[in-house]
Amino acid sequence: MNRSLVSALVAAAVAVLLGGCSTQATYVDPGSTRTLSNVGEINVQDWNMASEAMVSSLIAKHINSGNLKGSGPDGRAVLAISRIVNNTSIQIDTDILVKKIRVSLLGTGKVVADITAGLGGPEDPLAAEAKREAQFLGTQKVAARPDYTLSGKIIENRTRQGNRNESTYVFQMALATRDGLAVWEEEKTITKQSKRSAVGW
Amino acid sequence: MVLLGAGCQTVNTTETAQPAFQRNMVAEKRVITDGSLARKVQVQGVNVSEGPGGFLKVQAEVLNTTRSYQRFAYKWEWFDKDGNVVEGPSSVAVTRQVEGKESLFIQGVAPNPTVRDFRLKLYENAR
Repeated sequence: MNRSLVSALVAAAVAVLLGGCSTQATYVDPGSTRTLSNVGEINVQDWNMASEAMVSSLIAKHINSGNLKGSGPDGRAVLAISRIVNNTSIQIDTDILVKKIRVSLLGTGKVVADITAGLGGPEDPLAAEAKREAQFLGTQKVAARPDYTLSGKIIENRTRQGNRNESTYVFQMALATRDGLAVWEEEKTITKQSKRSAVGW
Repeated sequence: MVLLGAGCQTVNTTETAQPAFQRNMVAEKRVITDGSLARKVQVQGVNVSEGPGGFLKVQAEVLNTTRSYQRFAYKWEWFDKDGNVVEGPSSVAVTRQVEGKESLFIQGVAPNPTVRDFRLKLYENAR
């Protein structure tokens, strides 16, 4: 057997092996329990559960009780997003949580979001400019300040015992009025455990 | 023997003999396709209420009929008066854990006041 034939056979064998190892991506419902989760990160399911807990609590404790007062269109409350502090060791985009909450609150028909007010500048600069113009010209009655602001914090706590790892993520949120009074607060704690493999690397 | 005992931790519960509340229980229709889950985690009853804001609030009592720790997930589905699905925050699967013989309440709030009906789904393969 000459050298070129051996090389060709080895290359073919490697190609077959690699081809056998390739996996095909499959779609899963992000709202299901089929998504992947691990201890070291906040996963899709965690964000879903945190936002579900926050929105359900906000509706049940504040909106459904008839306590929501608004100066927006049709008497709806105007909400602006304040600071959401990430106090975890991982880099996360808090918009994953905030956007879910905003979408759900808008869906209640009782709340509108002010995207011209924000700590890091307006989310929509063009809308902010249009609002300023309308206020200056007096052509449109636009509320200068939002009725409510939403703030929050995400905290992490990790621990290990024997061959078990545990991560706890605490999601805290508060809704404050123009007077700075918190009228709703909620905390959702998600704890995950995993077992380290006997042969780790 | 120790290993066998470790998996079985049940819960003792105490409550008032005559509760001060009156639950508005609703008649349910159950479709069970997962007999394994139905034998472990059972819905004992469902009650509904509505607040001044017009949002439907549903509460289901779930009982772990086994003597061992169980994991399950649940998901609410909401419908308007025409039977159309209304998507909302609680349209995601939420995992829960329950000790042996323990009962717990799971609650859902309708995503908006147009919701008139609901459906509760239970899943076994929760992590």
